[in-house]
Amino acid sequence: MSIRHGLLALLERGPRYGSQLRTEFESRTGSTWPLNVGQVYTTLSRLERDGLVEQDGEDGAGHALYTITEAGRAELKLWFEKPVDRTSPARDELAIKLAMAVGAPGVDIRDVIQSQRRHTVKAMQDYTRLKAQALTALESGAERERDDVAWLLVLEQLIFQTEAEARWLDHCEARLIRLSATAPRDGAPPAPATPPRRAEPGRAVSRPGA
Amino acid sequence: MSSPSRSPQQSQPNQPGQPGPHTVQPVLQLQNLTRVHGSGATEVHALRGIDLDVFPGELVAVMGPSGSGKSTLLTIAGGLDTPSSGRVIVENTDITAADRKTLAALRRRSIGYVFQDYNLIPALTAAENVALPRELDGTSARKARREAIAALEEMDLGHLADRFPDEMSGGQQQRVAIARALVGDRRLVLADEPTGALDSETGESVLALLRARCDAGAAGVLVTHEPRFAAWADRVVFLRDGAVVDQTIRSDADSLLTGRTAE
Amino acid sequence: MNNWIHSWRAAVRIARRDAWRFKGRSFLVLAMIALPILGVSAADLTLRTSELSTEERMARTLGAADARIVDPDYGGVPIFQHPVEETSTPVGDYENKPWPEGRTDVTKSFPAGSTVLTDSTGMGKVRTAHGILQTEIRELKADDPMARGILSLQDGRFPQKADEVAATTHFLESSGLGIGSTVAARGLDREYRIVGSYELPNDLKADQLNALPGSFLGPLGKALDAAGMSSAGTSTTHLLALPRSGGSDGFTWNMVKDANTKGVMVMSRAVALDPPADSDVPMFQQDGWGNYGNSAAADAAALAAAGTVVGLAMLEICLLAGPAFAVGARRSRRQLGLVGANGGDRRHIRAIVLAGGLVIGAVAAVVGTVLGLILAFALQPVLEESFGQRFGAFDVRPLELLGIGLLAVLTGLLAAVVPAVTASRQTVLASLTGRRGVRRSNRVLPLVGLAAVLLGGAIALYGSVVSDQFIIVAGGSALAELGVVAMTPALVGLFGRTGRWLPLSPRLALRDAVRNRGRTAPAVAAVLAAVAGTVAVATYQASDDAQQRAAYEARLPHGAVSVVVTEGGGRDVPAVSDAVQKNLPVDVRADVNRIVVGKATCEMYGDAEGCGRHEVVIPVTNQCPLWVYQPDGSDPSDKYTKAERRKLAQDWRCKETPSSAYTESGLVVADAKLLKVLEIKDPAAEKALAEGKVVTFSRTMVDAKGKLGIRLITDIDKADAAMAKGQEPPGRIASFDTYQAASGTESYGLAGIVPPAAAKAAGITTVPFGTYFSTDRMPSTEQRQKLDDELSKTGANAELHVEEGFVSKSSIVLLALTVFAGLITIGAAGIATGLAQADAEADLKTLAAVGAPPRVRRTLSGFQCGVVAVMGVLLGSAAGVLPAIGLRLTERRQQMSWYETALDLGGLADMPHVPIIIPWATLAALLVAVPLGAALLAAAVTRSRGALARRAAT
Repeated sequence: MSIRHGLLALLERGPRYGSQLRTEFESRTGSTWPLNVGQVYTTLSRLERDGLVEQDGEDGAGHALYTITEAGRAELKLWFEKPVDRTSPARDELAIKLAMAVGAPGVDIRDVIQSQRRHTVKAMQDYTRLKAQALTALESGAERERDDVAWLLVLEQLIFQTEAEARWLDHCEARLIRLSATAPRDGAPPAPATPPRRAEPGRAVSRPGA
Repeated sequence: MSSPSRSPQQSQPNQPGQPGPHTVQPVLQLQNLTRVHGSGATEVHALRGIDLDVFPGELVAVMGPSGSGKSTLLTIAGGLDTPSSGRVIVENTDITAADRKTLAALRRRSIGYVFQDYNLIPALTAAENVALPRELDGTSARKARREAIAALEEMDLGHLADRFPDEMSGGQQQRVAIARALVGDRRLVLADEPTGALDSETGESVLALLRARCDAGAAGVLVTHEPRFAAWADRVVFLRDGAVVDQTIRSDADSLLTGRTAE
Repeated sequence: MNNWIHSWRAAVRIARRDAWRFKGRSFLVLAMIALPILGVSAADLTLRTSELSTEERMARTLGAADARIVDPDYGGVPIFQHPVEETSTPVGDYENKPWPEGRTDVTKSFPAGSTVLTDSTGMGKVRTAHGILQTEIRELKADDPMARGILSLQDGRFPQKADEVAATTHFLESSGLGIGSTVAARGLDREYRIVGSYELPNDLKADQLNALPGSFLGPLGKALDAAGMSSAGTSTTHLLALPRSGGSDGFTWNMVKDANTKGVMVMSRAVALDPPADSDVPMFQQDGWGNYGNSAAADAAALAAAGTVVGLAMLEICLLAGPAFAVGARRSRRQLGLVGANGGDRRHIRAIVLAGGLVIGAVAAVVGTVLGLILAFALQPVLEESFGQRFGAFDVRPLELLGIGLLAVLTGLLAAVVPAVTASRQTVLASLTGRRGVRRSNRVLPLVGLAAVLLGGAIALYGSVVSDQFIIVAGGSALAELGVVAMTPALVGLFGRTGRWLPLSPRLALRDAVRNRGRTAPAVAAVLAAVAGTVAVATYQASDDAQQRAAYEARLPHGAVSVVVTEGGGRDVPAVSDAVQKNLPVDVRADVNRIVVGKATCEMYGDAEGCGRHEVVIPVTNQCPLWVYQPDGSDPSDKYTKAERRKLAQDWRCKETPSSAYTESGLVVADAKLLKVLEIKDPAAEKALAEGKVVTFSRTMVDAKGKLGIRLITDIDKADAAMAKGQEPPGRIASFDTYQAASGTESYGLAGIVPPAAAKAAGITTVPFGTYFSTDRMPSTEQRQKLDDELSKTGANAELHVEEGFVSKSSIVLLALTVFAGLITIGAAGIATGLAQADAEADLKTLAAVGAPPRVRRTLSGFQCGVVAVMGVLLGSAAGVLPAIGLRLTERRQQMSWYETALDLGGLADMPHVPIIIPWATLAALLVAVPLGAALLAAAVTRSRGALARRAAT
């Protein structure tokens, strides 16, 4: 849904052609949300089918230009006004993994949590680094301000979501420790200070559904 | 419409990297540090064998649940508390064996503290607060003030110089405290939850300043329980029950982006 | 050194701003330190200003003259004189020779060519608008340049004609006259016109008239002589100006010594300005000449006394102000912790707290001194009036003021010492985290205190039991007192044990006070010291009071009034008695005469020409053997053993000594009304008086036949000579029948009453002596003031006595002391409470959180204040009563030993009565009212709702 509305939002600022839309989209979302051109054109044709955009001539280089229709503007307005639907929870692999790890023989759940935490915090560090750069860019260059701000917001969305995950991990750990303290036989024993397992720093950041 | 300028590759002016111990001496070294509170039945092991090196240009965040020993680590590192065993070396000086006077002098010259709140002495202006360690060290009032104003201006805080703490916002106070922590030759900042009393946005500005000072060559240790603020660090050390259980090494932002794009 | 200065500058800056930030507390301490400084500096300035320079002094006594020639009345024999003071002594030994007497011809001592101005004074009774005023008459040509400065003209001019006078401003005020009025002296039929007013810079209250030489005193003296009155008693001195031609050095010491050989005393300007060395002053070389006032020992004693007072005052201020600095240090713990975290070591922390004392001390010094200056300056006219003396030039001694100011700075610093050390002992971490805990008190101090108490107690005990030296008791008590102050922390700890059964608020207050001895102890000690001093003085005073009350001898029945006039042959008695009758609520009036031998104007005990005396003839058998005159001059009591002497002392002949109050013989001439006034209810006595019998109150005066003899001596010299030989003095003896009043009749010092008819019949001259009155009720103060006013206007030297019974003079002192101790207690307890409040904020929040009603905050602070006050007052009372009792015991021992010695020697003495009275009223006020008041005050000024949660750092 959101690529659809993203393109609509870009078109509202004026007629665009396909690959131009893709570039602007990526620039705004900071390449964390990559698109390919095919995806753009498929979406555009669907939008045209629904009467939300229409082709409106070509530019000098022969690219077909799309413009937004009145119905498209109404749809966009509706999208901005409607909160994001949270009724269907994302099926998060991490949640499933932890749920399975409880009680699994031979698995130290605190190690599982810690390795996940390291991963999460590391991702946050990376995002924060990018954010610091964005902040610097924002302070220095004024011309592409709009894009920079958009990029910053996306980064912060990622950071806050990752933080929520880190906090959730903290909470899980604290809860497990409490349970193991009250029922030492059933619960997983608190892990001794084991040396950190050096998991390969994965690039797979759990990403909100695209 | 040119290609997007968002090209992270070209905006890495001061990537600190991880200087190897062979080339640069760490500013702070903690070696096999233990701290036991009380004795007998009430014995509490606050720290069990901590090893940690902090290099110039590096910001290290220490995270961990309550009671994991984060604050104890920081007070021992700054010489406000003494370890039960192990060594603390600041700027090549072993402070474990130092007497009170030497420790005080070290705090004047080498170590700067930033606490959660009320860092500034209410009776002194921002500039005087920053100048305080220098003045205590015997620098003349005029020279200390000049240095303090220079430090404030370097951090864009020059306009606050003559304000008293109660005329400043919380964020401004914390930033002045960072300026004080790094005035003169001091290049080790020990920050204990410096953002704890601030809102998210203000806290961020404080950390951005801390980050910038580290990028400019200072060494920092940040104790926090907020991952979002810990994420500003180059390295995050996880503490549990007084021991280091894990740590992250920040990866290159370039590789992050390129990797992501490649996926 | 340089570093030290720089870091102190930072400390002073912090302290200064903090002092400004906490204005209330700073002001409190400032006032505490500045007030004594104000007083001392004002006193210093006033003292220095009132001290005249030699030049100023000379101008007031000599005017512009070089010297004043004084006749010492030694008849011209050579003398030694003091170079500056007006004292002299004849040269030679006069122990076995009559002391030289008589006028000297001073003119022969005048250096040739000098200018002379006479200055004579005498007394005269001057008629005024209200009556008659005893006035000094001074004949001095005040317009003469030589006299300039002696009299300072205020208005009008000095007299230029023989019938003109000038008067002092005080004379004009009290006489109700003004410039232009005329005055006349009583006895002189001549009027003088007042043409100007002046004042004597050294004696503003003098009633003096200035006249031209020869115009007033001479005629007055002649007129009085003619009337048979005693003359004006003129004395004359001469002001001298040396010839200016030969560049003289003034009247030099050698010239003075030269004049001394001619029996003349000279007060010289030149000598005063440049006094000779002591070795050049023959008077100082005399045996037995002691310059006591300036002896080193006396100086040292005065210095020690002053030092003790200043030291105690400083101790008290330190004890009071110390907790305030402790509050400051406690409240800024976090700040001090931050300084520590930024590299301040203990030295710096100490410096910051000490700088607080320095800043406040310095400000107090400046404020106190400036206010002192203003006060001294503003009060100068008032003080001049009340001292009756114009001060010299306003005299500011910077060094002395600086010293006084330094005392303030020192006090501030001393007060901050303990808090500074305490604050610096805290670890940085504890200061930063604000961890509280029981602060362990010093263990050495209580031990030292205990040792001091034991030692001081032993010394005092020794003093009161074994020796009878006050100084030992006082010294021991003082030492013990200081010991108790040092033990205060430990004693406060003992109080904590009593808290178990108390309800919540007082229990909390007590525990809190005991747990935080560091702040409680100084406040308790301050209260203790003040209360101990007060109670000691109060106990001593109350006991002394009781003793004096017991020893008091009433001169008349309670409420009765007597007025007597001994001069002038009693011519003023009717006027005086009428004035009394008019102004006081009198009931019975008894006019009393006295016996006079010779002229009617003869005064009692007088030896004027033509005057004699009278005495009661004591029959030989009635004389006390211990005192019988021995012709060989030996002591009659030597004939008896100690035991016999003691026995004789109880003999009625010795015990019933006729007291001779009022008149030479103790006899007065009066009728039965006097008995009524004296409340002697004896119809037989009244009857006896009516029958012409003498009523006697002493058995010794009456011989075996019941007769009383009065010897009328006309020639005093012969009588004295006869008595010296142990012979009966010559003189007619008038004999009277007597009536002996019942033994034990209170006669208020009268030996007997002679009825006027009997006196007349015996050919005895009597003159009015005075009047005795009984009153309906005790005359009020207003009535007495009015009467005093009228009596003074009669110009008579009337002696008025209103019997009011024993009037304690110490009650006002006791009240003042109690109020002082109360104020100190409230102040100290208040400071301690403020301190406790600062600490207890967290506890109070917790209390509020568990549902304690808001008034708990109020009651708690009330009890905190009360606890400090009670502890201090209890300890102080105990510490104060004991030394006072010790002192009294010593006194009792001393008096008993005197008494025994007196008995052994054959003297007469009453059994000494040295009671020990505990001043319960004062104690009750201190023990109950003061703590209660302090507690209520604290509760009243505490807000029920907590202030906005304040952080430890602010």
